Amino acid sequence: MNPQGSFLLPLLIALPLLGAIFVMCTPKSESSLHRGLGIAITTITFFVSLGIFKFFNPAGDGFQLVFDVEWIPGLGAHFKTGVDGISLFLVILTTFLMPITLIGTKSSVEKHAREFIAAMLVLEAGMLGAFVSLDIFLFYMFWEVMLIPMYLLIGIWGGQRRLYASIKFVIYTMLGSLLMLVAIFYVYVKAGAVLGTYTTDLEKLLTVALPYNAQVWCFGAFALAFAIKVPLFPLHTWLPDAHVEAPTAGSVILAGVMLKFGIYGFLRYAMPLFPHGAAVWAPALSVLAVIGIIYGAFVAFAQDDVKKLIAYSSVSHLGFCMLGILTLTTMGISGSIYAMLSHGLTTGGLFLGIGVLYERRHTRRLAEYGGIWKQMPVFAGMFLIITMGSAGLPALSGFIGEFLTIFGTFNAGCDPGNGIPCVVGQTEPVHHFIPAPHWLGALAATGVIFGAIYLLFMFHKVFFGKLDKTRNGNLPDLKRHELVAFIPIVIGIFLGGMFPRPLLKIMEPSVQKFIKDFDHRLNEPEWSDHAPHLYGQTPPPGVTALGAVADIQRNLDNVAKGAENAAAEMKRGTP
Amino acid sequence: MTFNPADLGWLVPYLILAITGMLLVLADAFYRGRDRTLLAGLALAGSVGSAIASIVLYRQLAPGETHGLFSDMLVADRTSYVLSAVFALTTAATVLISPAHQREHDWQMGEFYGVLLLASSGTVMLAQASNLITVFLGIETMSIGVYVMTAMRRKSRRSNEAAMKYFLIGAFATGFLVYGMALLYGAAGTMNLLRMQSALSSTQNPGLVIAGGFLLVVAFGFKVAAVPFHMWAPDAYEGAPTPVTAFMAAAVKSAAVAAMIRVFGTALGGDILPFGTLGWASPMVVIAAITITIGNVTAVRQDNIKRMLAYSSISHAGVLLVGICALGLGSPSAQSALIYYLIAYSVTTLGAFAVVAYVGSKGRERLLVDDWAGLASQHPGAALAMTICLLSFGGIPPTGGFFGKFYVFKSAMDAYNGQLLWLVVIGVVNSAISIYYYLRIVTAMYFRESSSPIATTRSAGIVFVIAMAPLLILELGIMPGWWLKLVG
Repeated sequence: MNPQGSFLLPLLIALPLLGAIFVMCTPKSESSLHRGLGIAITTITFFVSLGIFKFFNPAGDGFQLVFDVEWIPGLGAHFKTGVDGISLFLVILTTFLMPITLIGTKSSVEKHAREFIAAMLVLEAGMLGAFVSLDIFLFYMFWEVMLIPMYLLIGIWGGQRRLYASIKFVIYTMLGSLLMLVAIFYVYVKAGAVLGTYTTDLEKLLTVALPYNAQVWCFGAFALAFAIKVPLFPLHTWLPDAHVEAPTAGSVILAGVMLKFGIYGFLRYAMPLFPHGAAVWAPALSVLAVIGIIYGAFVAFAQDDVKKLIAYSSVSHLGFCMLGILTLTTMGISGSIYAMLSHGLTTGGLFLGIGVLYERRHTRRLAEYGGIWKQMPVFAGMFLIITMGSAGLPALSGFIGEFLTIFGTFNAGCDPGNGIPCVVGQTEPVHHFIPAPHWLGALAATGVIFGAIYLLFMFHKVFFGKLDKTRNGNLPDLKRHELVAFIPIVIGIFLGGMFPRPLLKIMEPSVQKFIKDFDHRLNEPEWSDHAPHLYGQTPPPGVTALGAVADIQRNLDNVAKGAENAAAEMKRGTP
Repeated sequence: MTFNPADLGWLVPYLILAITGMLLVLADAFYRGRDRTLLAGLALAGSVGSAIASIVLYRQLAPGETHGLFSDMLVADRTSYVLSAVFALTTAATVLISPAHQREHDWQMGEFYGVLLLASSGTVMLAQASNLITVFLGIETMSIGVYVMTAMRRKSRRSNEAAMKYFLIGAFATGFLVYGMALLYGAAGTMNLLRMQSALSSTQNPGLVIAGGFLLVVAFGFKVAAVPFHMWAPDAYEGAPTPVTAFMAAAVKSAAVAAMIRVFGTALGGDILPFGTLGWASPMVVIAAITITIGNVTAVRQDNIKRMLAYSSISHAGVLLVGICALGLGSPSAQSALIYYLIAYSVTTLGAFAVVAYVGSKGRERLLVDDWAGLASQHPGAALAMTICLLSFGGIPPTGGFFGKFYVFKSAMDAYNGQLLWLVVIGVVNSAISIYYYLRIVTAMYFRESSSPIATTRSAGIVFVIAMAPLLILELGIMPGWWLKLVG
């Protein structure tokens, strides 16, 4: 029933989960054993995830390795997993970053090492589950499961203000995701009525065309959940707090993987399910994305705390990703995914680097550093490459994603047949919802420049200048395990920058299918005033909309009409 | 009414509880010595036996099969036996956590077990009630027992105050209940819940139906502690001994909701609703919305864990009322959603209060959130169990509490053409608020250090409940399919 290799994805979720249970069963005092186990389990998970490539057809555009069993019969919920070109690399990024994080932060967690490793493993299971699930109920479940270990990571192993930061993180994310839950209910109930059976299977839900108003509302609810996660300006305020207080490993995973769920959620759920909603909200979202790019860069420049600086740089970089998917061009979306992967590597690396510094000096203030290059030449070299990668220097990974995103933005709205030329690489006219794409593209491009400025500024303050603080006098260079963590990241940044083609080629079919399906759903003929129906079928006549709102509106109209009639009647009555 | 001895066979779960209860009261009179553990053993045997009897009888019934007992005063169907098994097991769990708590906090009264089982027999009667009379009898048997148990710590002023408040307000609510029933009887000409619906839809006196429905909403609002009839709950929860609080929150509330399922879902549901726009559902939706909100917002301000859980249980009553509204408004899945929710909620409540009973010892009950600081490093098992219970209360997957809320809200979306959407939005936003105060306890347990060693009340019974509850909660959340088949 399930195709060959489909067992891999459930296995990927199960491995860290079983690992976590196993780690919890070992004696409490053996902290080096726990770390070793954690590294071993995540490394095995990584190699298992590479096995996906054995079964994955790079030219295919649909979901592959689909595993599907019925889970809750009464509800129509399935345990259904699968990957396509969009989620594949995000899965690999997750499994790749996990062992590296555990290796790199090997010496930084002293307290409750067993629980720490278990929390990280549960977190990994949750993240992988959310990336591969193809059932909206299953997705929601994993989406929330991720929250608790991250909350514990910040709260137990965090810094001074960890109580505040952890609770802020949870409440922010919960509020968004609960409104998404309401929208899920709505889709579930309406789609169930159209399909004849209730189901939470994403692919089945995607065949149902919802009424126009409902799409606008539901997209809004989904967008809130995902925009908080991205985080999109002005919903980003939880991020600097969470990052600053989180332990190094938490920061790496939070920035490296968890933020991607925002963008991924838009691509996988919000935009395909509610194309009309996307059309309505996209202008606002794209403007916010560009504000985020520039605002994030400016605020990052003003920071003295290195972690805060990188946190704001994430706001800026994720703005590019957000802008990219709204362009609805192959370039923009592939660029956005590529930028996410690159951001995962570079920001993960930057946070690891800050962890290295913090472990030696116990401060994150830029003013406390200076001239470290002489003390830690190997570290400085690695950190330079990662910084440059983040700043988008050509030949490094950050460049490709941002470049493609900006190109995609310029292409949005081009229509060669009608005299609106496209930038290179685009021949088809593009559906788009971005206001003034050229302006937004140009503004976004300035973000690259600002990004280079604050990152180089940071690098300069830490590594160059005089070594005038005595406490920086004898900092040891990278230890072996730290080196082991940095080298794969640096290699990844180089490879990503020099050979983007193979990755983009695997993404392309899925991205093109995404755009095609989106256009197709959006152009469904005269349906927006009708009740939910299947795409491609004649919609039944009926009322639309979120029942209550529309009904109240109608009732009010009736009352008003009645009053008018009565008034007219009275007028006629009086001579 | 004719007495048919063959019907007694369907009443075994009830009879076991009632007879054991009476035996216990007698046994206590002839029992010497302070330690009442032996009585607890008998009570445990009785409640577990009753649960087993319920399961056996459940398996003898086909889905949808019903037997009217004693001229339809009571009914035997699968739903009623699921509920009676849940109530009996709740009683068993209460018995398990009681002896150690009694010993530690010095309220060893042998009557406790007898009264507990008699109150529990009232809950089982409610599970099977299909007549307004039996509903009334069940509610009173249950309530009077609980009033007495609330006052069991005779030396504690709070316990006395709580019992007094609870009793006065409960008695007051009973007045509403009887009056509402009388009006409905006047309109329908029958007390039978199964026949009432058709009788009411052809009644000449719609005014009586509306007034009767409203009075019942008020009466049941008192029983499940819905706002604005909730004032007694925080004091009663705080003052009662912790095992009694657990029984109150889990069994009493669930039994009241079970009665509501019969009264509002069966007798007053469906076609009666043409009176409906003016009928009981309109105040009920408003009450549900206020209950969820006030319960949660007030809980945020609490420092005493028992009071916090009291307000949290008020907000859960609000969610249950959402389910009752959905049921009355014709949602097909509401009944199984409600029963699933009751099971998940009862398990979670028992687990949480078992941990509350566990933490703290003679002279120091440790009921403040601050008292729990650093619990995780000293008693990791209890802290983990409490965390899972709290996450289930808060509705975070993969717990039973999450799925219960999901299912209740989903059934509310089904009802009445999606018009309850606003209620679902309120419920869901409140879940986010509730996370704040539940996590306050988690934060205290895990993120803070304790200044002194935390002594505990340890016994095999308490540890058993603490260990079983989280496992069941996770099982309920990850594999809800089996339970849905059971209750659907």
